[in-house]
Amino acid sequence: MFLAWKEIKYSKTRFALIIGVMILVSYLVYFLTGLAYGLAQDNRTSVDKWEADGIVLTDESNSNINMSMITLGQAEEVSGDETALLGQTAGVIRKEGTSGESAKINVTFFGIEPDEFIMPEVIEGKPFTNNDEAVADISLKEEEGIEIGDIVQLAGSDKQLTVTGFTENAKFNVAPVLYTTIGSFQEIRFEKIDDSDDGRISAVIVRDNSEDLAGIEIANNDLIPYKIGDYIYKIPGYSAQVLTFGLMIGFLVVIAAVVIGIFIYVLTLQKSSLFGVMKAQGISSGYIAKSVIAQTFILSTVGVGTGLLLTLGTSLALPATVPYQNNGLFLGGITLLLIIVAVLGALFSVRTVVKIDPLEAIG
Amino acid sequence: MKLIECKNISKNFGDGHKEIEALKETNFSVEAGEFVAIIGPSGSGKSTLLTIIGGLQTPSKGKVLIKDNPFSEEEEKKRAALRFKEIGFILQASNLVPFLNVRDQLRLVNKVEKTKMEQEQTDGLLEELDVLRLEKNYPSDLSGGERQRVAIARALYHDPSVILADEPTASLDSERAFEVVDILARETKSKQKATIMVTHDERLIDKCDKVYVMKDGVLSLRENA
Ligand SMILES: Nc1ncnc2c1ncn2[C@@H]1O[C@H](COP(=O)(O)OP(=O)(O)OP(=O)(O)O)[C@@H](O)[C@H]1O
Ligand SMILES: [Mg+2]
Repeated sequence: MFLAWKEIKYSKTRFALIIGVMILVSYLVYFLTGLAYGLAQDNRTSVDKWEADGIVLTDESNSNINMSMITLGQAEEVSGDETALLGQTAGVIRKEGTSGESAKINVTFFGIEPDEFIMPEVIEGKPFTNNDEAVADISLKEEEGIEIGDIVQLAGSDKQLTVTGFTENAKFNVAPVLYTTIGSFQEIRFEKIDDSDDGRISAVIVRDNSEDLAGIEIANNDLIPYKIGDYIYKIPGYSAQVLTFGLMIGFLVVIAAVVIGIFIYVLTLQKSSLFGVMKAQGISSGYIAKSVIAQTFILSTVGVGTGLLLTLGTSLALPATVPYQNNGLFLGGITLLLIIVAVLGALFSVRTVVKIDPLEAIG
Repeated sequence: MKLIECKNISKNFGDGHKEIEALKETNFSVEAGEFVAIIGPSGSGKSTLLTIIGGLQTPSKGKVLIKDNPFSEEEEKKRAALRFKEIGFILQASNLVPFLNVRDQLRLVNKVEKTKMEQEQTDGLLEELDVLRLEKNYPSDLSGGERQRVAIARALYHDPSVILADEPTASLDSERAFEVVDILARETKSKQKATIMVTHDERLIDKCDKVYVMKDGVLSLRENA
């Protein structure tokens, strides 16, 4: 520690630059990871919000909820610990009174029964109470300026909805979700309300604690239960996105780690004549190695730590439209990885330190 | 008492097809309180002998005893420990750590040894070598002579029984050079150390008890007239 610290204090500029490189590299990795993660999350937050175990869709739908059509009568035949009806459809809305291309907003409608478990927690305003009201994802307020009491107009129909409240983390397929009644959903999708057994919805969401959805019983061969995890993976576009970004980030992390490792390695090698001098004085390789590792640890912790703080700071300052999201597991994992790789780089160079011939250093 | 004893040591450097006999079979010893000079032309094997005694390389044949320990036959780790404890190296090129100030050069020894020398003792040593006023300076802010004196302080700090100095005065003017040799002679006498100084400069050997001449790897005692 003594040597490590004294050297850092003596060559301040040099070490400031080294730390600077560490900060930039780690910042890049953290930030891109957060972006990729945030985008992936935007596909699924509304689904995660259900805290459900399974989703029942028609066999024909190929697990695509857009293609799944279940009648209310069929839905009755599904039983589990807890079930909830869901009508889902994509749509375009505009705030009443606005016009033009830029006022159009892509959304997803969730038609639900307000007393069932998939009813979201309203963080602002009130829940919807009839077929002309809706609770919206908060991003519609943050990004589109829609307020409680505003009326939104559906594209291509006369249907209007009054926004009564907001909920958070409700995005489906990167679009904000509007929660409304099943009747309202049927109006949007089928242009008429039908609450008879023939009335149609999209899916039945099930909470079931048993293993492999064994507790879900369906008295109908046309309906299939999917595990929520499998279902999310099959949300159109989701797996392609996750794979692409996963690979990109994976490579980025690996390359950044290798760069930092090599960087530290070269840095230590540069000092071999100095180590030779110390060894001639009888200072043991062990002591030198320890201080090299201590120094690397200080440098990488300060560098990566600052990169992390910078990332967290940036995430607060980012506009809401950027799909950035922090994830403790990723941030922690990357932090650990970068520090470990830096120390590995140091360990690697320590092998050279041990082999340095003091004669060469002083000759 | 013999602090340094070389028994039939020799050193060959082989570079494949040609063998250089840098040091021919040598028997040589230095007593406690003895200040020995080795002079001789360049390339004659002086540094080779000194580094073998200091354990920085091993002899091809024979062995070196430091305080009766078979120093040259120990493994590297033990040799480093023994070198740290018993041998103070003063080299031609400054052997100071560039990022430590004068006082920290000495503190490094404490850190490694996990002991603590009294402040007064350190001050005394630095004062003796006239570098106490420079204690906050880094090696780059010292003159060649000052640096050499700090290196001596560093070598004497942990009170080694053997001092090996390879051209300690090479970068100094003659006045400073005499000073350095005086200090070495004084330390050798007062603390009963065994000191070997390699030098080119014939004028510096007056203070030495014995003078050896190295020529083509052969060491011979020069009888003082
Ligand atoms: N590692 C080595 N490999 C091969 N030959 C070497 C090696 N070290 C020294 N020599 C040779 O051994 C001989 C003695 O070298 P040494 O360094 O002991 O000379 P020296 O007396 O100290 O000279 P100077 O006064 O110039 O310092 C030289 O011919 C040198 O070239
Ligand atoms: Mg020499």
